[in-house]
Amino acid sequence: MNYLELISHVLPEIAVLVTALVLIGMGCAGGSRGGGKAVLAVTAAGLGLALAAVVFGPESGRLLEGMIVVDALTRLFKAVLLALTLGTALFLFPGGEAGGNEGRGAENSALLLLALLGLLVVVGTENLLLLFVGLELASLALYLMVVFAAPAGRPAEAALRYFFFGSVAAAFLLFGFSFIYGATGSIDLRVIAKVLAAHPVEPILPLGVGLALVGFGFKVAAVPFHLWAPDVYQSAPAPAAGFIASASKVAGFFIVAKVLVLGFGVVEGSADWGAFAMGWAPLVAVLAALSMVVGNLAALAQQSVRRLLAYSGIGHSGFILTALVAANAEAVRAVLFYSVIYGVASLAAFGVAGCVLRARGADRLEDFAGLGRTAPAAAGVLALALLSLAGLPPLVGFFGKFQLFAAALSGGTPGTVPGLLWLVALALLMSAVSLYYYLRVLKQVFFAPAPADAAPTRDTSAGTAVCLVCGSVLVLLGLFPSLVLQPLQRALVQLF
Amino acid sequence: MPSDPQAYLTLGIFFGIAVAAALVPIGLSHLWLRWFTPAKPGPSKHSAYECGIEATGPARIQFKSQYYVYGIVFLIFDVEAIFLIPIAVAFLDLPLGAVLVAAVFVLLLLESLAWCWAKGYLNWK
Amino acid sequence: MTIGIEHILAVSGLLFVIGFFGVLLRRNTLVVFMSLELMLNAAMLALVGFSFFNATMEGNVFVLFIIAVAAAEVAVGLAIIVALFRRRHTVQLEELVSLKG
Repeated sequence: MNYLELISHVLPEIAVLVTALVLIGMGCAGGSRGGGKAVLAVTAAGLGLALAAVVFGPESGRLLEGMIVVDALTRLFKAVLLALTLGTALFLFPGGEAGGNEGRGAENSALLLLALLGLLVVVGTENLLLLFVGLELASLALYLMVVFAAPAGRPAEAALRYFFFGSVAAAFLLFGFSFIYGATGSIDLRVIAKVLAAHPVEPILPLGVGLALVGFGFKVAAVPFHLWAPDVYQSAPAPAAGFIASASKVAGFFIVAKVLVLGFGVVEGSADWGAFAMGWAPLVAVLAALSMVVGNLAALAQQSVRRLLAYSGIGHSGFILTALVAANAEAVRAVLFYSVIYGVASLAAFGVAGCVLRARGADRLEDFAGLGRTAPAAAGVLALALLSLAGLPPLVGFFGKFQLFAAALSGGTPGTVPGLLWLVALALLMSAVSLYYYLRVLKQVFFAPAPADAAPTRDTSAGTAVCLVCGSVLVLLGLFPSLVLQPLQRALVQLF
Repeated sequence: MPSDPQAYLTLGIFFGIAVAAALVPIGLSHLWLRWFTPAKPGPSKHSAYECGIEATGPARIQFKSQYYVYGIVFLIFDVEAIFLIPIAVAFLDLPLGAVLVAAVFVLLLLESLAWCWAKGYLNWK
Repeated sequence: MTIGIEHILAVSGLLFVIGFFGVLLRRNTLVVFMSLELMLNAAMLALVGFSFFNATMEGNVFVLFIIAVAAAEVAVGLAIIVALFRRRHTVQLEELVSLKG
């Protein structure tokens, strides 16, 4: 390996890092002027450069024994993460959320880019060490983003809670990794898979995988590791919450699928009804079932729309984990596809929620009353996002959910009753429940009269543009899902 | 898949012991509190030193939270130096690239120092 | 008596569980913090032990990174606590976290 080769393979990460350092420098030099258009321009330019480096960079490569992996799949997901972060960055600016934290715009943006850097590292590695370091980098930046832009007391409390939950999860992840390393003698996922296939499983390995699942469960906000999510989503500034709900979750599902299927495919076990076998599949099935039930039922009772979105996100984690239990190529494709469209839809939903929050000072259901008349564009995008999350055709959410459940049913021996039918039946039931609370929001938006003293919802043009782009992506992918599915399929062929 | 069920039993027993080792002292201290040292509040019990000088002034002393800021900054620069140890150990055998990487790392630390300085966190207010 | 991997695992498991219950049961944020560090130290001890008995270096490298990450985590956590303390003048957890679950 030489350094030039190394640099060419991590060029997107370098672009993001350098941009973050430049932004910190700007914050240093700018003092109270640090903020506004210049910061946005630098951020967007850096993200654009990174995107170009992903698109025109090397097609494949595996350096330093799997520490840095470039293939079609990682390139696709790096591009998705960069696009989602660009969307979040446009929400950060200006006039909008920056209102409560004058002079911190540059640092805020730098933190966003550092979080993105962590996620890029996580996506582009098959090594447990880099995986851990990337996850921690992303988490630390996110804790600070939640507390940094805090105008009043509440977000700091949410950040403290997020921090403690996250640190405990990281410790579990690490303890699990140490057992995995002890049982297999390696921290490279591919070597681990080979060792597992060749030797009988040591008893500390299941323990390690179980402990690591706790850490991953926190990252994707699966029940019972979800307790941080509602507070953080509700109290954090809307762009930070949008990033946690979109880019961070996409990377979370990517890495859960990759680690479990690629590294520990041998010790999957089975969660089929009547054919139960110990492994990680039953554990994931339990997480999925709990997340679906708790997330969707708790969302019914919420008055704050951002809290509702948080619980619906927990429910969606359950839906996605349902397909992961099947653990074949089709399931991984469905998981990755759905996590991407979930990310796009949540970014749009949080964007509109943040816009309402700024205009009316709160985000209770009543505050959305009459939005359809005062801000038709925002209301339309919100409707698209929520209906896609609910899974109504012709939006892409329907297609994604269909794929998830079909993949879950495809597991097990052919010709018999699918073993995961119990989980899919639960998922369908919970989807129906979720439709109710999404429609509750939309009823307020379109059919409730606007309060007489309602302040007009004004938003930055950048924010509106992001919302519109997200909305049109949801419609477009619903009509032509193959736009993302085909590259995903091609990328997965290389992996399996 | 399980190579030896006996090994799982050992693990289970061990974790039982570990949980007990964490919980039993806490439980014992609560029992101790209830049985042997019931609360008997009184003015002499509540004084800071039960014998010796009478305490004056409030117990909560004001001290600046900026001490913590210094502490945090010191902690970061102190511990991140750990990455310089492997470089120092293998310094004479290093290729040019590795030295450059080390230089980049030190520059990163320098930028954070410059940021702290420019933001005025190093000034005592 | 020779020290084997099971002795190291026993100590690290104890440390981890003690740290975990410290996080769950303690009320002072700074003590909770120390318990968190205990959990990380448990993982580090296990890694070093495995590294020694597997005769590979990865575990030691891992530990080096964990030390740095743990320091960064402490810095972030302390910063959050200082930010909260400036507003609320307490470090007791139940007074700080007033949000509903």
